[in-house]
Amino acid sequence: MERLKVLIVDDSRVSCSILQNILSKTNFGTCEVACSCAEAIDKYQSFKPDIVTMDMNLPDADGIECTRRIKDIDPSARILMISAMKDASLIAQGRSAGISSFLQKPVNPNELIDALMFLCQDISDKIGELKDLYVDAFVKVLQKSLFSLVGVHSEVSSHLAVGNYLDVDGIAVIIGLTGMPMGRAIVYMDHDTMRKFACVLLGKESDAELTEEEASDAVEEAANIIVGRGASTINDLHDSEMRISPPGTIAGSNIRIANFKMASFVITAETRLGNICMNIGFAEGE
Amino acid sequence: MDAKLVNPFIDALVNVMPQMGFDVPKRVSMSVQNQTCKSLGVSLIVGFTKGLRGNVVYNMTEQSAKFIASKMMMGMPVENLDEMAQSALSELSNMLTANAATNLTAMGYEVDISTPSLTVGQDFQIKISGEQYLVVVMDLGGENMELNIAVQ
Repeated sequence: MERLKVLIVDDSRVSCSILQNILSKTNFGTCEVACSCAEAIDKYQSFKPDIVTMDMNLPDADGIECTRRIKDIDPSARILMISAMKDASLIAQGRSAGISSFLQKPVNPNELIDALMFLCQDISDKIGELKDLYVDAFVKVLQKSLFSLVGVHSEVSSHLAVGNYLDVDGIAVIIGLTGMPMGRAIVYMDHDTMRKFACVLLGKESDAELTEEEASDAVEEAANIIVGRGASTINDLHDSEMRISPPGTIAGSNIRIANFKMASFVITAETRLGNICMNIGFAEGE
Repeated sequence: MDAKLVNPFIDALVNVMPQMGFDVPKRVSMSVQNQTCKSLGVSLIVGFTKGLRGNVVYNMTEQSAKFIASKMMMGMPVENLDEMAQSALSELSNMLTANAATNLTAMGYEVDISTPSLTVGQDFQIKISGEQYLVVVMDLGGENMELNIAVQ
């Protein structure tokens, strides 16, 4: 699933950049801006946003009229009014035009995110479903596998990844997931954690006995085992046929991995060896 | 690995690229490498499973990546490899591998492909095989793309 798309309709550049700045830190990341009603109609049709934020005062029509025109094109459009004015009369007019929710400027970031999440609940339900069906299985498998492989206890947490990029300094093992759902898993950690992890896994007395190749091979094999177990667990639970491709292992610094059209989740295991992380992404529509 | 397995991937390039306005790609060279390939700057990895298990890496310089993205976006100038350009390249690797999968099916190997992972960096290595893998360099009309194909 792609990140949710927001069309910001506002004739003030300042307001637009404040909203864009808030949204850039959330999963509602992809924005387009329209400064007039006419531009909003054009962009609604070309950009096809999941949600529209609407200002009241526009140079060529007011926000209520602009909402009506968008609703004429798409009766299911989700529109949130964000305006300096917020009074009973405005809310009544807005509701009759099809505006679902109202916020007053200046916008509190948490209120904005809550309002957007509420309006896009049907979309966020899909994210919740992916988490329940697949991500939680990987969380448990990661924790159990780290204990069985290297005998470490870990605190494991997961959250929806923000943005399309994953920055890695150290090692990243990319394993493709095929079948249903399709996607990919990346197990990654920094260089220091990789060496400590490999020393324990290979039973080396000291770091000096370990070559770089042995260290990265150890992490690669562990990642292969963890992702393989995760996929098997999911197959057993859901009677699915998820398969994993052989690992592709990337080593270096300042590496940026991008995934588009995906819903991805970050799972972090905090251990005494360092943080061992997984990024699980599923293709849009699966 | 069996050298004839490169053909479905080369054929995919020859089929798909002209549909997007590229000249018919020409094979520049083919060789065998061990385990690890050095990224040229932009690398797209796609995994496959089922009848064959392996990975294909579409490896290119940043300049080649910009050339390809620009051509895919109807000649729009690509100054930086921004999100839109990267998304276009991701989509290309998906199309190429899906096309190669169809070609593999015709050879009797049914495969499923994973989503692509696009990796960008100055200096990194990718280990795609425990053994040897095949490298094919293709000329896309002035800029090269390297295909690294590993099959278990």
